[in-house]
Amino acid sequence: MNLHEYQAKHIFKRYGIPVPVFGVASSAEEAAKVAHQLHLKEAVIKIQVHAGGRGKAGGVKFAKTQPEIAEIAKKLIGMKMVNEQTGPDGVIAHQVLISSPLEIAKEYYFCAIMDRSRAVPMFIASPEGGMDIEEIAHKMPEKILKMPFGFDGRLKSYQLLRLAKFMGWTGELAKKGALLAEQVAKCFIETDASMLEINPLVQTPQGDLYALDAKLSIDDNALFRQPEIAAFYDPTQVSPQEAAAKQFDLAYIAMHGEIGCMVNGAGLAMATMDIIQLHGASPANFLDVGGSASKEKVAEGFRIILSDPKVKGVLVNIFGGIMNCAVLAEGVVYAAKELNMKIPIVVRMEGTNVAEGKRIFKESHLHIISADDLEQAAKLAVQAIRK
Amino acid sequence: MTILVSKKTKVIVQGISGKAGRFHAEQCKEYGTHLVGGVTPGKGGQMILDVPVFDTVWEAKQKVHPDATLIFVPAPFAADAILEAEDAGIPLIVCITEGVPVRDMLEVKRVMNVSKTSRLIGPNCPGIISPGECKIGIMPGYIHKKGSIGIVSRSGTLTYEAVWQTTQLGLGQSTCVGIGGDPLNGTNFIDVLTLFEKDPETKAILLIGEIGGDAEEEAAEWIARHCSKPVAAFIAGATAPAGKRMGHAGAIISGGKGTAAQKFEALKKAGVTITQNPAGMGLAIQQAMGK
Repeated sequence: MNLHEYQAKHIFKRYGIPVPVFGVASSAEEAAKVAHQLHLKEAVIKIQVHAGGRGKAGGVKFAKTQPEIAEIAKKLIGMKMVNEQTGPDGVIAHQVLISSPLEIAKEYYFCAIMDRSRAVPMFIASPEGGMDIEEIAHKMPEKILKMPFGFDGRLKSYQLLRLAKFMGWTGELAKKGALLAEQVAKCFIETDASMLEINPLVQTPQGDLYALDAKLSIDDNALFRQPEIAAFYDPTQVSPQEAAAKQFDLAYIAMHGEIGCMVNGAGLAMATMDIIQLHGASPANFLDVGGSASKEKVAEGFRIILSDPKVKGVLVNIFGGIMNCAVLAEGVVYAAKELNMKIPIVVRMEGTNVAEGKRIFKESHLHIISADDLEQAAKLAVQAIRK
Repeated sequence: MTILVSKKTKVIVQGISGKAGRFHAEQCKEYGTHLVGGVTPGKGGQMILDVPVFDTVWEAKQKVHPDATLIFVPAPFAADAILEAEDAGIPLIVCITEGVPVRDMLEVKRVMNVSKTSRLIGPNCPGIISPGECKIGIMPGYIHKKGSIGIVSRSGTLTYEAVWQTTQLGLGQSTCVGIGGDPLNGTNFIDVLTLFEKDPETKAILLIGEIGGDAEEEAAEWIARHCSKPVAAFIAGATAPAGKRMGHAGAIISGGKGTAAQKFEALKKAGVTITQNPAGMGLAIQQAMGK
């Protein structure tokens, strides 16, 4: 789960990671109140959306007076940001972060991430902040330091020493930098993060370090033991279909095509999208109904697929293992009748209780196109929407 | 011969008293798996499916000497269940549970990496089956057929699809291993490829990967250097958008890495017969064998 910058900074503060003074507002009035409370004469105002590239998109502004803070906040709240990361539908900023501006002497980069192939948490730092880490890795790979750390969330003293030398820090600054690195590692582990990024980490002329920006993603599988973070979930940052699917514990991801997909299992769901594309059409979504879906859950998944106005046809591909084909068929028939659906449905089923599933479809008197295998299912689905 | 399991493999189920545990224990038993016991804390002394239930894996180890354990323990406790099985020295640990936190897996990985007794398959996987011999997992048994193809996959139902295609073509399977869809797992592609390479019954290998991580690239490198048998591969997720987690915790393209195109390319370079079409996995392995 991705967090907003203000949420990440809220957590950073608890771990002692220094952040500039900030507040959050969802209206001009609130913005004025924040400016007043924090005694801000000027401020940086940043839209809160789950996407990078806010500066370039015009979502970060500087206010030179207190009245200007409210004015700018008013303009930014409700702004729709569209870039490569958000997709063509964009995301809407419902809140802004209002932050005290800092004088910047130098910018750095700090990050902690899960290294999958080595199965260790990895601390990453660079004396070149402000740019994308991919860009640094491409242009100056020698300027990136990577150090694995333990699941106890601790960096060793020799690692902290190495970090200071690599960053060019001495004296007090080295001490502050080492402390911050330790806080980052601890925060990463204790919050079950999959990524924690501070870009840029800035040094003020007075020699203090601050996390100017903050990115934090949490392992979805660990949210059960991170209730405070789980409460940060913001459904406005995903499509309405994705938000609805999450309520029913369905894995749904919106795509841009016209064939809705309902599949059991993530791998088969991806493969079904792939084969639709191979046959010259595009999938409207990824949907894994899971292994143990009930009739109600299947029906809900079907409703979500059909709530996307782009959908011109639906491909149901089920390989029953734990999932029972009859349950799937009941759910689809129930939802199709309830929604009085008019668009074609192609169904391919195999596995557990397939004969019963086929019987339910047959007796439903719905116009369902039956396919014998995956190849035929994809072909029929593409044909059906082209008619 | 098969890899890892056979008719003689004695199996216990951790979480046997739960709905899923009991159902699949029964399915495995019906398939012919030698089920010798179960473990559920607090239920020791009971009998389920005519086998004894123990409070701990250690007691099960003393009394019924299992070679393998099948874990259905809920996600918050699954890592501990794996560590308990390793501590008791169970040689093969198969964890089906989906949703184990990555931080928990860090500890599990560290223990499994140095374990002298045990191997872990999963978590978040369908398990392992050697058709006609032994099934330790949740896959529907009847789609399998004893044969010559070794299948290794990060997916569940997509593996069934591959199994079904090879069964339809009459090739059958020697052993199928689902290594799981999580970012951190036990047995990896290379471990299974190594076993298939040594297994005389496995004539060709079908590898099914998906977007995210670089396990397929590493496997490709291994295949180029060490594999003498024909290999075919499919990678799911060519249409997946970057930055989105596609159902599996491990299936995500991040920072431009982990795309299907990169994985296909690496495998192709290693001499693997690739197919972009998931309906063509059976044909691809047939083609690889004909080379």
